[in-house]
Amino acid sequence: MKRLLALSLAVGLILSGCGKNADSGTPAASAPAAGGKKLTIAMLPKSKGNAYFLSAAKGAQKAADALGDTLLFDGPTQTDPAMQNQIVENWINSGVDVIAVAAENKDALSTALRKAQTKGIKVVSFDADVLPDARTFFVNQATPQGIGFALMDEAARLCNSEGEFAIITASLTAANQNEWKKHIDERLKTYPKMTLVDFRPSDDDKAKAQAEATTLMSAHPNLKLIMAICSPGVPGAAEAVKQAGKTGQVKVIGLGLPNENKVYVHGGVTDSVILWNTEELGYLAIAAADALAKGSLKAGDTSFKANGKTYEISGDNIMLGKPFIFNKDNIDQFDF
Amino acid sequence: MKRHFRELSVAGALALLLIAMALWAPKFFDPQPLLTRLTGQMAPTLVVACGMTLVIIARQIDISVGSQFAICGVCGGLLLNHGVPVVVAMLAAVLLGALLGAFNGALVAGLGLPSIVVTLATMVTWREALRWQRSGVFVDIGPAQWFGLGQAAGQWTILIGAVALMVALALAMKHLAAGRFCYAVGTDAEAARLAGIPPRGVTFAAFVFLGALTGLAAMLAAVQSPQVDPGAGGGLELRTIAAVVVGGVSISGGRGNLWGVLAGLLLLSSISPALTYMGVEAYWEKAIQGTIILLAVVADGWRNRKQNH
Repeated sequence: MKRLLALSLAVGLILSGCGKNADSGTPAASAPAAGGKKLTIAMLPKSKGNAYFLSAAKGAQKAADALGDTLLFDGPTQTDPAMQNQIVENWINSGVDVIAVAAENKDALSTALRKAQTKGIKVVSFDADVLPDARTFFVNQATPQGIGFALMDEAARLCNSEGEFAIITASLTAANQNEWKKHIDERLKTYPKMTLVDFRPSDDDKAKAQAEATTLMSAHPNLKLIMAICSPGVPGAAEAVKQAGKTGQVKVIGLGLPNENKVYVHGGVTDSVILWNTEELGYLAIAAADALAKGSLKAGDTSFKANGKTYEISGDNIMLGKPFIFNKDNIDQFDF
Repeated sequence: MKRHFRELSVAGALALLLIAMALWAPKFFDPQPLLTRLTGQMAPTLVVACGMTLVIIARQIDISVGSQFAICGVCGGLLLNHGVPVVVAMLAAVLLGALLGAFNGALVAGLGLPSIVVTLATMVTWREALRWQRSGVFVDIGPAQWFGLGQAAGQWTILIGAVALMVALALAMKHLAAGRFCYAVGTDAEAARLAGIPPRGVTFAAFVFLGALTGLAAMLAAVQSPQVDPGAGGGLELRTIAAVVVGGVSISGGRGNLWGVLAGLLLLSSISPALTYMGVEAYWEKAIQGTIILLAVVADGWRNRKQNH
């Protein structure tokens, strides 16, 4: 997720003055009747043009349709914290029932959301949390342990729990990656016949990841799998395997975005790309928002049912669950 | 012999490293990975380092090359994506790079602003503008990979092209007036002006030339994969400046040549694979590279002190 993180850090300094669509989308359908429970749910992504959030919006729309609610999906054209506040203000004024947000700047957005709460508007966050007092629940897409275990389990599955593998990371000091690596190491203990032969940095650069993977394959002729835990690393490692003519012999998996890896997944170079199901994340966020506004979901609940599936609630985090594995069979259903 | 002490010591260090590899990790020389590393990592960096050498010899610096590289790669990639012939896309990327270099050059040579500040500003601005525009989305160039020549031919074209360019430039810097102008301006701008060499014109030209080479390098890198990464070129300024300094070019201008830069680049870019082949943890990579750069800078400072006394 390094790329999305970097994306969200994009400095709006020069650009924040540019003209942006301030249209906050007034409810098209009639205002909700108090008894009818037809809610107006507003969903605020970090940026509405980003394919990642468009995929979440697709799931959100499905949830709204299923529940009979009206969904307003609006956000800055490009990541812009000030614009997020303005949109929330507009929603407060036009009177929506519940807001679901992914925060660009948690401190700034929390102020606007607290104001919304005092006006009786319920708030949930998803993807990127705000301060805990500014929302009731956070729909949490993944935990470091979930990611680490999923990567290691998938690597073991592809290697039949036996053989040498190597990891390509962002940089040796990257906090997220080191957290994931800790859980990979922990999980590795349950696969005694698998050996981690090397852990190399790629500086989040696709070309460097490719060079590292090229050398790794030559230095370790028995290497069965390369696991890349930063998004440019996955296509970088895959290109190295392809150029070395070792497609199928050395498998590639990693944490990344479907679009960057489709060509290699279809080419049989990359077996699995691991992330979370963004559509399901959008669905769950809206289902939770709906239930919260209707009172069927309350602080203190320990589980939540949506779309026939039960989700665990840990504290005030609704857990999306295990990461999602994109492969040949499903990757084309996702466009981000 | 003494005149070329710096270049020879870098070449000596590189030779020692290669001998050590031949003895203890001969797989270092396996042809396929070696060729892929040389074309993938070294060739584009060498092309940028050639331009950087001229700029540093002229007593300036450009730390925006990584951002120029990313912008040129993405724009060239978009042209390829729209079916523009490879040659045209490459020319466009070179031209765009020259324009970006001209912008830096105009601010430095025209307004007399310090190059480190100007290029720091353009480095951040161009990188963020690209991020804002592309949101990190890869550019598909599919069939244009390897110029459409296939992997082996494509790799050799890139490698031979980059090395030929470097050799031609090394000769030009020694024997052509334009090359000697750079040394003159970097050694003493006032003396150069009195000798009839326009220091501002030379500085401006050096930045434009570096930009053009950066655009070319971006395309040499872009065609090596079916997708162009808009995050490419991160840290490129550090890698090229390090290679230039380790290669014996004086950071205070006026001295150095491309043969030394080639040796410096080969030395620095061999550290990481050498460690992998030796089974040494990656934690040592940056420490060793840093030590080599530090030695080079100390040697440079020591020489300057001796000259001033």
